[in-house]
Amino acid sequence: MKLRKLLVLIIGPIATFALVAAACGNDDDGDATPDTAGQADAGDTGDAGDTGDSGDTGDTGDDGGQQASVQEAPAGSVSGSVTISGSSTVEPISVRVAELFEDVQPDVSVTVDGPGTGDGFKLFCEGETDISDASRQIKSSEAEVCAENGIDFVELRVAIDGIAVMTGENNPVECVTFNDVYGLVGPESTGFGSWSDAGSLGLATSDLPDVDLDIYGPGEESGTFDSFIEIVLEDIADERGQDAITRPDYNANADDNVIIQGIQSSDTSFGWVGFAFAAHASGVKLLDVDGGGGCVSANADTIASGEYPVSRSLYIYVNKANADANPALVAYVDYYMSDDGLGTAVSEVGYVNLTDDAKGATRANWAGR
Amino acid sequence: MAKARLIGDRTNKMMVQAMERRAADVRGRVFQITLLVTLLISLFILGVLIVDVVVDAWGVLTGRPGGFLSGTMRSLSGDPKLGVQQALVGTFWIAVFVAVLAFPIGIGAAIWLEEYALKNRFTRFIELNIRNLAGVPSIVYGLLGLFLFVNSLGGLTGGKSIASAGITLAILVLPIVIITAQEAIRAVPQGLKEGAYGVGATKWTMIRSQVLPYAAPGIFTGTLLSMSRGIGEAAPLLLVGAVSGRLGSNPGFFDFSAINAEAFMAMPVIIVEWVQNSGRDPGFAEAAAAAIVVLLVFVILINAAAIFLRNHFEKKRG
Repeated sequence: MKLRKLLVLIIGPIATFALVAAACGNDDDGDATPDTAGQADAGDTGDAGDTGDSGDTGDTGDDGGQQASVQEAPAGSVSGSVTISGSSTVEPISVRVAELFEDVQPDVSVTVDGPGTGDGFKLFCEGETDISDASRQIKSSEAEVCAENGIDFVELRVAIDGIAVMTGENNPVECVTFNDVYGLVGPESTGFGSWSDAGSLGLATSDLPDVDLDIYGPGEESGTFDSFIEIVLEDIADERGQDAITRPDYNANADDNVIIQGIQSSDTSFGWVGFAFAAHASGVKLLDVDGGGGCVSANADTIASGEYPVSRSLYIYVNKANADANPALVAYVDYYMSDDGLGTAVSEVGYVNLTDDAKGATRANWAGR
Repeated sequence: MAKARLIGDRTNKMMVQAMERRAADVRGRVFQITLLVTLLISLFILGVLIVDVVVDAWGVLTGRPGGFLSGTMRSLSGDPKLGVQQALVGTFWIAVFVAVLAFPIGIGAAIWLEEYALKNRFTRFIELNIRNLAGVPSIVYGLLGLFLFVNSLGGLTGGKSIASAGITLAILVLPIVIITAQEAIRAVPQGLKEGAYGVGATKWTMIRSQVLPYAAPGIFTGTLLSMSRGIGEAAPLLLVGAVSGRLGSNPGFFDFSAINAEAFMAMPVIIVEWVQNSGRDPGFAEAAAAAIVVLLVFVILINAAAIFLRNHFEKKRG
């Protein structure tokens, strides 16, 4: 008797709050009541035309332009679920594609997580996920695990992300070469406290000022870290007989916002993050990068054309056996391959579209799986 | 004897001083002001935080409160369907798990330790360990949840589900529940217990009719505060598998099939996610602030329940 009263007293306020929240919710959608079981609710939020959500998407009108190689399933005819994990960099693209796809196939439930490229491949190669988002290509060690577990996959390149090399906005330096970057953050630069120290390694470097060097960048778990090493540091390190790593003594952080704040905090800082993040940042200066062909500034055009030397491709990896068994997965990837996916979704979340040729190659990969 | 006289002398001296000089008690005033300043500092920090968050969140909260509460995780901050329902459902059920699991077990353990256990080396060892457990970093509980509830007992909990997360957080707050309940039970006056025995009560009757009602206000304050702490945890949830990008389903609050479904979201995790997204899409800063306000309101409601319960039982006790 007393105990029951107690329970009512504990649960009561919480339940009341839940009811209020649920009730508030109903005002908006009309039919978001929790009456249906399980994932069927996903359809509710996707009802076309219930709110004016087409304002910023611009997805209508592209349908006619889809290439013939993709066989679209009729709208609303497919149901099932798709599980995606992997890179937090690629995550927004896959989520955006899923949101646009929801309007076409409202009965497909797509779940996307973003623990990181490496963690994503671990799950993918255990058969836990249908698609793995990746901000780099799969490593041979990871592919071996996949092979051991009998996971056969197809690699699809979906977008390009530049890596912005940045400094404080009042730094007089405008452009850095790969040699400069190696001298600033490469494995032999450990302990360097000034920009001009970069010249002491005997490499041909630009004329860098003798000012304090504060370095901020992503940590080892990040795909951006791996890509940066691979593109900028690896060749020079190999030539000099060094391991392709960065110096250990810099401010590493997993959160791009923290890195940008670090770079803002000092006029003579140095750091790098994905271009999609850097493009919105204030108080920082994006350095031009000279990869051997002269100084190139980082913007969407130079990244798409490949002129800007520090850019990387973003991929999704699809489990082939799951695709054969799951029409929902095929429909989702088909949609990913359409102009709504590789075109609209990619640019809406801030990444750079592949060139038309590269899109064609990706579509051919998928069609020929 | 000598000591007693000493104290008597000192008291005498102080009284004489107090009567001779009407001067202000400078040290006392300084002490009082210092205390006031420490209080104001903590209130000021809290106030700045709350004002900052509410100002950021204002646009979202006043613009479309219903839509935000019923919306789902989206990739663009300008999306009119962006909202927290999936995460709120997750956090709500995690709170229910904590209440249903941690409270009875924790309070039961506390009663046993205070009333039944012999005061020997073994129980002292147990109590010491409970105190240590209360100080273990939450990420360690996340690892425990990952190995035990997600992997080993995945068939029962549904793997990376709300159930796994709820049980993990229940275990996380269990030591705090035990310690606070123990303190409350220890504060029951010995006279009450002896009185109960005096009129022939058994141990069980004594505990039920005297100890529990007297200790109830303290127990509830402690337990519900520990729940507020539990549902604010993000680190263990990330390990137990809270999804950060998109959840295919949008279950309602009383949709029981969502409890052991393979994926879930929770408020602290989407706050982290949105703060990170704000670099790519600055509008997410507002959404994150609004989500913080929603979580704050949720926690305040739980604390309000604690205060209500405490008053209720204090009245009864009086």
